[in-house]
Amino acid sequence: MNAPAYKVCMLGDFGVGKTSLVARYVRSTFSDKYLTTVGVKVDSKDVALPGRGPLTLVLWDIAGRSALDAPSTTYLRGASALLLVADGTRETSLSSALTLLMQSRDTLPDAIAVLAVNKLDLVERWEVAATTLAELRRSLPVFETSALSGAGVEDAFAEVARRLAG
Amino acid sequence: MTRSVIGEPVGHPTAPASAAPAALREAVAPADDFERLRELLLGDERRDLAAARARIEQLERAQRDLPGRLPDAAAEALRDERGRPRIAAALSEPVAEALGAAVQKHRQSLVDALFPILGPMIRKAIAEALRSLVTNLNGAIESSFTVRGLRWRMQAWRAGVPYAEIVLKHRLAYGIDHVFLIDRSNGLVLHHASAPGLPPLDADAIAGMLTALGDFVDDSVGGDAGGALDSAQVGEDLVWVEHGPRVNLACFVHGVPPPQLRTLMEQRVEEIHARLLALPPDASPRAIGEDAFVRERLEPAALLRDTDEATAPAAARRPSRGPLLALVLLALALLGGYAWERWRWSVQVDALRARLAAHPGFLLSGIDARPWRELTVHGLLDPDAEPLDAVLAGADLGGVRPRLDANGYVAADDAVIARRATRLLAPPPSTAIDVRERVLHLSGTAPQAWIDGALARAAWVAGVAGVESSLAPAGDAVADSRAEIARIVAGWTALYVPFVQDAEPAPGAEAVVDELAGSLQRIAALAAIAKVDIDVAAYGSNDDSGGSEANARVRALRAQWLARALAARGAAAVRVADEAQAPGAPDRRGAQLRATVTGVRR
Repeated sequence: MNAPAYKVCMLGDFGVGKTSLVARYVRSTFSDKYLTTVGVKVDSKDVALPGRGPLTLVLWDIAGRSALDAPSTTYLRGASALLLVADGTRETSLSSALTLLMQSRDTLPDAIAVLAVNKLDLVERWEVAATTLAELRRSLPVFETSALSGAGVEDAFAEVARRLAG
Repeated sequence: MTRSVIGEPVGHPTAPASAAPAALREAVAPADDFERLRELLLGDERRDLAAARARIEQLERAQRDLPGRLPDAAAEALRDERGRPRIAAALSEPVAEALGAAVQKHRQSLVDALFPILGPMIRKAIAEALRSLVTNLNGAIESSFTVRGLRWRMQAWRAGVPYAEIVLKHRLAYGIDHVFLIDRSNGLVLHHASAPGLPPLDADAIAGMLTALGDFVDDSVGGDAGGALDSAQVGEDLVWVEHGPRVNLACFVHGVPPPQLRTLMEQRVEEIHARLLALPPDASPRAIGEDAFVRERLEPAALLRDTDEATAPAAARRPSRGPLLALVLLALALLGGYAWERWRWSVQVDALRARLAAHPGFLLSGIDARPWRELTVHGLLDPDAEPLDAVLAGADLGGVRPRLDANGYVAADDAVIARRATRLLAPPPSTAIDVRERVLHLSGTAPQAWIDGALARAAWVAGVAGVESSLAPAGDAVADSRAEIARIVAGWTALYVPFVQDAEPAPGAEAVVDELAGSLQRIAALAAIAKVDIDVAAYGSNDDSGGSEANARVRALRAQWLARALAARGAAAVRVADEAQAPGAPDRRGAQLRATVTGVRR
């Protein structure tokens, strides 16, 4: 029997590093040009969790925007999890990520949500305060990641997989 | 003094501004002093200026030399493994922009440059297409007179489609590379199958992208009508997507697939939805991907096979000729059966005609027949002829009993003349009558009075052309015995054991055998008195139907049967003549005895 597959949508403002996170995590089949043409790029990753069966994350990297439009809403359909991505150096991107989360709840009321605050390698320029992240951690899992160095990337996706596996 | 003034440390407060012109006038001194002053005031700046000027001159010189050195520098960089990608990266953008600008500004030049390249490429593509077409036509022509070609023609005839379409159907190759069963709600793969030999692919990602593209097309151009991405084609590779309420079926195909594949995909989607309905309400759609039936039905080979099977009947644009063919075959079979039965009827009638024509004392004038219903024989029958009942009863006409329509006449056949003479002359038992070539032979013994009367009347018997007599007056025991033997033997010519088939005796055969056995015993007794040795042989006979070998075998069987039957009755001294035919015996299904005197004792 094949490993169960789950649809995971990557949401976040433009330039927060969603595509870089996916590229760090998986070996892409398709070119990034689909993001600018179709508005989405799909990749998959087989995940083996300790003590649990394998599963497959099908990652829908949706082109960056600060609010959901109709095509993006269509792409969200049937997703089991959301990986929200914000740029630590731009506090507005965190607001956008949270806005996207709120908007997606109309389509995906039960989807798992994980927040990745990216660009940890530029932590000295972060605008997002640690207290803000601490406050957010009370509502959803928050990971500080760096697509450049790879820090926290595996952990963020593994958390998504763990929560999907129940 | 200027010197002191000048000698003031820099940055220290100076004289008031009103005093500056006087100081400068005082500072105007000889040239070396002025130069020294400039050196003191501007020495560092002048040196910086000179260095900058030299640097500028050096750069300008290098700039002037750059065009001459650039090719060598580029070639040197390209020879370096590390420099080559840098050169390529550095030149990619400007070269692309330059090409773009060249296309815009010098279109004709590009056309002139590309024309010699595009022309041969186009011609080559056309040539390849024509070669393929010619190959197909050659195949069609070559296959026209082969077994395969005839089979294709039959297939085209049955399906009611042109022969060329059948040829192209068999010659156009296509294949199914991948099959995806996709959950329509989220784009996840429920099942994926690939043709053997293809490299592995990321089915989840491809199914997701296919779904995303479908959504993109739907959102972009689908409008309110709810359009969907049904197919996409790049060159000879294409993707066909069949949409269902809950699942989509996508086939990646190369070549030119027949439209029946699309129909088959529709059927598969319907079947899968039917099985989805059979799942428990809380079952995951993934379960359908694990369904062995679904997996088997979605194998590329199974789809190819079922498409090929569906092609023939589905391609028929006219009703199938199969039923018509069956009707024609049935009609031909019925016609053949009728012809066969009609031929058999004719053969039997001809055989009957031949037997009637050969029957002594009967002149056949015609036969009226309605096949398998009735048959009437017309002719002339001598009252003294042997009855036709046996001949008519022996005609194998199924349930039809021949009817005789005969008028009387006088026949000149030897057998009939003999019967007529016997009837008219009423010879005593010791007298034998025989007719050969219409000549009446009288032998044996008889009272002198009868001999005289018979000789007087014999020539008047109808049909008799002459009379020969070896009659002896009665009273001599030897002669009488010999005469009686001759009479008995002569009587055997009209006596035969009838048979139905082969060695199967006909009704009445036993009575004839009894009579023959009795006459044999009588001859045995007379032979001793007559002082003669007699050889008695059993002969078989047959009608004129059948082959010679079969008839010879039948004759032997019947002769053997007669000998055994006589032996069973105590008449053992009968020789079996095997396949020999009895002298003077007509063609008929029977067995008879013939006797010859082999010795006379004194």
